[in-house]
Amino acid sequence: KVAPPLAAIMALTELIEKSTAGTMFELSGVLDKGTQQLTDRVPNSIGLNAGCELFNLFVTVATHDLGVLSDFKDKLVRQGNQYIAEAALYSEKIAGFTNGFVKDGSVILTHSHSRVVMKALLHAHKRKRISVYVTEAKPRGLGLKTHEMLTAAGIPCTVVLDSAVAYVMDKVDFVLVGSEAVVESGGLINATGSNQIAIIAKYANKPFYALAESFKFRRLFPLSQYDLPTHGPGILPFPRQVPPPTSVTNGQSPSDDLKDAGPPVSPSAGSLARKSMSAEQIALNPEVDYTKPDLISLVISDVGILTPEGVSHYLVGMFAG
Amino acid sequence: MSGDVQTDAYQRNVEALVSKLRRRYRFMSPEVLTAGLITHLRQIVGSRRAALETLVVLRQVVTKARFSNIEQLVEIIHGAGRRLVEAQPKGTSLTVAFPGRHNMDSTEFSVGNTVRKVLHHIREEYRTAAKKVPEDTALSISKLVYQGQPRRRGMAPKSETDVDLKEDDLDDTDSFSRNLKPVFMEAIQDVFDELETVYDSISKSAKDHIHSDEIILTIGQSTTVENFLKAAAHYRNFTVIVAETGPTYQGHRMAQSLSEAGISTFLVPDSSIYAIMSRVNKVILGAHAIIANGGMFAVTGSLLAATAAQAHSTPVVVCAGQFKITPLWNLYQDYSALDFSDPSNVLGFEEGDLVDKADVINPYYDYVGPDLVYAYITNDGDHPPTSIYRLIKETYNDEDIEL
Repeated sequence: KVAPPLAAIMALTELIEKSTAGTMFELSGVLDKGTQQLTDRVPNSIGLNAGCELFNLFVTVATHDLGVLSDFKDKLVRQGNQYIAEAALYSEKIAGFTNGFVKDGSVILTHSHSRVVMKALLHAHKRKRISVYVTEAKPRGLGLKTHEMLTAAGIPCTVVLDSAVAYVMDKVDFVLVGSEAVVESGGLINATGSNQIAIIAKYANKPFYALAESFKFRRLFPLSQYDLPTHGPGILPFPRQVPPPTSVTNGQSPSDDLKDAGPPVSPSAGSLARKSMSAEQIALNPEVDYTKPDLISLVISDVGILTPEGVSHYLVGMFAG
Repeated sequence: MSGDVQTDAYQRNVEALVSKLRRRYRFMSPEVLTAGLITHLRQIVGSRRAALETLVVLRQVVTKARFSNIEQLVEIIHGAGRRLVEAQPKGTSLTVAFPGRHNMDSTEFSVGNTVRKVLHHIREEYRTAAKKVPEDTALSISKLVYQGQPRRRGMAPKSETDVDLKEDDLDDTDSFSRNLKPVFMEAIQDVFDELETVYDSISKSAKDHIHSDEIILTIGQSTTVENFLKAAAHYRNFTVIVAETGPTYQGHRMAQSLSEAGISTFLVPDSSIYAIMSRVNKVILGAHAIIANGGMFAVTGSLLAATAAQAHSTPVVVCAGQFKITPLWNLYQDYSALDFSDPSNVLGFEEGDLVDKADVINPYYDYVGPDLVYAYITNDGDHPPTSIYRLIKETYNDEDIEL
């Protein structure tokens, strides 16, 4: 399986290959529609959009050199495939860079599951002894996948409750997370919980490293969590109609029911409050969050080890240079 | 490497500098004398002198080198640079930004930086002179991303003539080097001039940074800071508080030198830095090396002064030549000392009882993070720590970071 931005580039490349557009105008129309469809189909399209942006930028720049349309289309397809082949090696490069930061005997905290982080950890494991804490990352629970893979590779690994990150932070040497996207401010967009971990790491004076391939750099500049494209009125609203309080039984106070966005708990015989969130409740929660650049120590990417400011220089150079 | 590129003379020059650098030890205690030949004198003192000596060697290397294309010359210089860097007394904790074959544990970074600067200039000159289309003109997506690299614009090229560079010409193997050597020598001379005038360039802005009746705190003995303060003293009346900087007590020499220049100077013990910080307007420090994230290595005690300043919201300004900017990272957060010096300066051998029972460490340098420094004053202008990364990309080439 492939990172979302690369998947987007693959899709767009295929689209061009199969398109029967006769003029450049039609071709860009095809690309636009493709991009739009990708964005609409997938709820969390931040990664996909990064890939689309990069590919569209490339097409725009390449258009300066427009010859015969069929040759041009071939060129685009070729370049697209070439880039995908190259980009598969980026995570190797990043693993190499990260290796320098891992000391023998390091205790590393990571969040959820990330391909790049896995590669980096396995690479470091070859020469050094490391132990890893991984957060459960509810509701998708991808942290358990990370735990499985690391244990299979022989790395001592323990799953940490999302709420126990502050508890464990003093034991940790540094935090390593992957990314969905790195934005123009130098901040990070990653699975929900990354921001929390970053804040705790900052308070405990631990380095926070984000691993991101260069195709994840995006020209977004969110000023807060609520500026993210994934945020909307459907995320974490209060219920519009407060259900009437049920009779007080089982020691439950009426206020508990009011906070529930789902149906009120019926005090049937022997039932206590639900042990885990319902699907509707989960759907009200965000999938990704934004970590501000001042919480991030370094962004390790295939273009080099960057400070968060360095990332914004890069993006401006790429898109405006 | 084709061709006879390592002449005896070049070898001799490199060896001479290598042996001079090797003799640089911080231990002064006679117990550590080893068999015969090596005497423990610091033959080369100071980063700037090391850089200048490196340049002299490089100039001779380039003069005597025989090469028929640019890669050969780069390889020669890389080889020389590697040997010079490896001759350093070994420190700990730093490694290259692009980790590869080996760690470069060295404490005198200005040697490596100068080699990289020279290589950068040489590549620029070659690029302007060659004017040929690079093979990989085809636009590709990854090229697009790499466009994000900051590049220094507007470097005036030295070669005016439109010479047809005959690279790898088998009939006339020397034509390439003959055509370009003068250009390269001029480029090296440029770096030389920059190094020679480093103190003056930095001191030029001194009077704008220091106002009348200010109280400045400094620590250690940095020639750069000394010149900076003396230059400002011509225009302004201010007071300097110098911290002793134990256990070397370099501060004593600094205080003496400053007061001889007519500056009102106070010498204080390191322990009172925090106590007097509320009266201090600015902290001006010297640096040993500035690293890629904007942090720096400076003499022990600098971290103390910087943290105390941060607690009082006092700006910390660092004066350092551009040759101190190093494309390396401090990878180990806890070991900030690069080099340890003689522990007997802290706890002497005369305390026979304690020497057995105590572990005595005498670190020579402190790592000061980028968030503690307000600005770096270099001969290339003033920069906040967040711009150091950009300066590195502009001054050095990626291929040269690992020599």
